[in-house]
Amino acid sequence: MSPPVSIWRWLAPMFAVTVTLIVASLLIIALGKNPLVAFAALVDGALAGPGLGNLQATINRSAMIVGAALAAGLALRSGFLNIGIEGQMVVGGVTAAITAQWLAGVPVLGLPAVLLCAALAGGLWALCAGLMQLRLGIPLLISSLILNYPAIYLASWLVGHPFRDVTSGMAASPRVPAELRLSPVAGTEIYLSAPIVLVLAVVMALFFRRMTLGYAARMAGMSPRFARASGISVDRLGAYVVFASGAIAGLLGALAVLGEHHRYIDGMLVRPLYAWTGLMAVLLGGTGIPGLVAAGGFFAALSTGAMGMERAADVPREISRVLLACIILLVAARGSARLGGDKG
Amino acid sequence: MNNAVTLRGIVKQFDSVTANAGVDLAIDVGEIVALVGENGAGKSTLMNILYGLIEPDAGDILVRGTRVRFTSPLDAIRAGLGMVHQHFMLFPSLSVAENIVFAAEPKKRGLLDRVAAEHAVRQLAGRYGLNVDPAARVADLPVGIRQRVEILKLLYRSADVLIFDEPTAVLTPKERLGFFDVLARLRDQDKAIIFITHKLDEVMAISDRAVVMRDGVVTAQLETATTSPRAIASAMVGHDIDLTSRVPTGHPGQTVLVVEGLSALGHGAHSVRDVSFSMRAGEIVGIAGVAGNGQNTLIEALIGLRPIDTGRIEVSGQDVTGAGVAGRRRAGMAYIPEDRQSVGLADAASVQDNLVMGHHGQRSQGGFLRLRALAAFCRRLVERFAVKITDSRQPASALSGGNQQRLVVARELAKNAPVLIAEQPTRGVDISAVEFIHTELICHRDAGNAVLLVSADLAEILSLADRILVMYEGRIVADIARARANEAEIGLLMAGQRPT
Ligand SMILES: Nc1ncnc2c1ncn2[C@@H]1O[C@H](COP(=O)(O)OP(=O)(O)OP(=O)(O)O)[C@@H](O)[C@H]1O
Ligand SMILES: [Mg+2]
Repeated sequence: MSPPVSIWRWLAPMFAVTVTLIVASLLIIALGKNPLVAFAALVDGALAGPGLGNLQATINRSAMIVGAALAAGLALRSGFLNIGIEGQMVVGGVTAAITAQWLAGVPVLGLPAVLLCAALAGGLWALCAGLMQLRLGIPLLISSLILNYPAIYLASWLVGHPFRDVTSGMAASPRVPAELRLSPVAGTEIYLSAPIVLVLAVVMALFFRRMTLGYAARMAGMSPRFARASGISVDRLGAYVVFASGAIAGLLGALAVLGEHHRYIDGMLVRPLYAWTGLMAVLLGGTGIPGLVAAGGFFAALSTGAMGMERAADVPREISRVLLACIILLVAARGSARLGGDKG
Repeated sequence: MNNAVTLRGIVKQFDSVTANAGVDLAIDVGEIVALVGENGAGKSTLMNILYGLIEPDAGDILVRGTRVRFTSPLDAIRAGLGMVHQHFMLFPSLSVAENIVFAAEPKKRGLLDRVAAEHAVRQLAGRYGLNVDPAARVADLPVGIRQRVEILKLLYRSADVLIFDEPTAVLTPKERLGFFDVLARLRDQDKAIIFITHKLDEVMAISDRAVVMRDGVVTAQLETATTSPRAIASAMVGHDIDLTSRVPTGHPGQTVLVVEGLSALGHGAHSVRDVSFSMRAGEIVGIAGVAGNGQNTLIEALIGLRPIDTGRIEVSGQDVTGAGVAGRRRAGMAYIPEDRQSVGLADAASVQDNLVMGHHGQRSQGGFLRLRALAAFCRRLVERFAVKITDSRQPASALSGGNQQRLVVARELAKNAPVLIAEQPTRGVDISAVEFIHTELICHRDAGNAVLLVSADLAEILSLADRILVMYEGRIVADIARARANEAEIGLLMAGQRPT
């Protein structure tokens, strides 16, 4: 039989990573480069660099990916598959950029108000998808996905037309007033999103372990029929967690606007693939918080490292996409191979 | 005699539990062996090893004298083995016929020939007297009927060595007799049969030999012809036990449950039509009926899992017709569902998480669980109900069937609800646990609560219930006090006939 589950949970991703490294080496050799040089450049590009600049970039990227993974993981662990994190991030980001214009000059309460609006907008956007499942019977998997597109196009249009910063050449909102910006962690280039996401991860772990509602959500995720028969109203619970999941995504979008770009630039949350990478982190690391954080960090390191690899070893950074796909396939195959029951 | 299978020195360790500690067992062709033992004795594990589902840590398996090594059930099936599992292994979204012919389908142009499959299933069902609707979706069927499907699936494949893990746990007496006829016929065709049961009368009725397991080893092998239920029972538990307890009748008090003109749509023939009855504190009311006559629909409608079309439900004077499960439970209902695996438990959740469900609200403060109180509560229940676990964090799926049942019963009894709905409460538990759960149900009644008992086992109803309702085709066709009840009459009512 297979080894005990706990070991297996760590062993499987390790195995996936090893196989992937072998595949990548072969690819790099096929490109006529030395894989060891390439990997050294990859590690340097992810974790070192002058003044540890690369590491800081990795941390910043991890924050977004892990944040997205937390948002998706919250819903998934409760049995709801919200894959519209991207759209919800965009809605939150653009909301933050716009409300920041309106709330400029409001002392003290301005910043919390902007963050609140962004979270609310992301949450409501997710809730729309949730209600489509609960009221119309459209599976959340589909409803949350299709709501991505209107979110992205709506944001494009908003910053391309009514809220465009005409002084800049791109489709972007005007700059956020200085008093509403989030400055990086003192003495570093690390945006405030990193510590905030870390706190969020701890809060979520506590939620599932210690809170009544978190317990109910966990049970609903493991067996909705059991939860229902025990008197948990799974539908209402679903509405809560899907809203909260969207709110986290929205908040994340706002953090990127207020802390990183100081404006909403069309595509800024879409092009880096934060949401999709976050979803893959959930797939790789599971919905347990430590695994999810580790997987998110790993993916972030992989993509910042790939840029370094391209610069230093002249290996195309698309290799990192191949690596990622490879890992996901391996992990997914493992998941379905274990689906059969073995209890009599 | 001819040896069919031999197990030699089988060992299987799960973490810190030794489920099988060197088991030797030989079964001949043309023999029915009853495998008995307490919950967690290692019976299912042994059979799963024989069937290739679990690989043993040590030991040999011989089929017709040759050593075999099974890495999956497919190997076992090829070697002529077949098994009905304690926990059903059916595809819920497929039809009965599709499940039965699975992996041996009649084909037409490379595709499943549905008509032929349904025909074959209907014939098979008719031949063995196990009635099923071949076109019904398995997910829509109550467990009693799923059990029939599992048995038919095995019969369809015509294996030489047949393993049944508690096949009778949810069969009615009549079905059980039919099933025994089937077994006897198979024995005469020189098949080897192993069946696991907790019911000693079954062992006496059908087996040639009783094999008793205890703590992972075979402790006794008794020829049925020369032994007694009492001897088997004491070999199982390790000491003498009393098999002849009489249940004193209850003292009914105030009415706690009123059901008026209840109709609810079930699947196909399983609807409930215009059902009215009431229950009083201090009585156990049994519902007797052949599986599929609306009992499940009625129970689901009562607890709030199924919408009702017309009618009214009142719990302790409070109208709960419009309430959901939470509201009904708050008004004083508790529920032991028959389908413990997917409704009674969350298989993947820990023992503690399963036990505290519904008790966690009182053991929390400001939205936070009081972990220490929960752990203490869990420990108390595990101890009181003698659930065999190694760790309260292990998943419920790692427990033996009977121990899973104990979890559900423990949790629901601990709610001290004025109205307890107990559906097949002793499904799959061993004799001492049956005894224990019966005693607990009676205590619950004597503490001034009402118990609605649904069981496929008429003997269980006759011994426990103060009053018996008989259901037939979605209606209550009789309401009989225990003093006036007799088995033959109830049997007739269950079959839809009016006794004269
Ligand atoms: N997958 C598993 N992981 C850990 N422990 C297990 C697992 N399967 C079984 N066990 C343990 O092995 C022991 C034997 O279990 P088994 O299911 O064989 O009992 P059983 O005799 O069939 O009992 P029952 O009559 O309750 O069905 C039990 O203590 C059980 O907890
Ligand atoms: Mg068993």
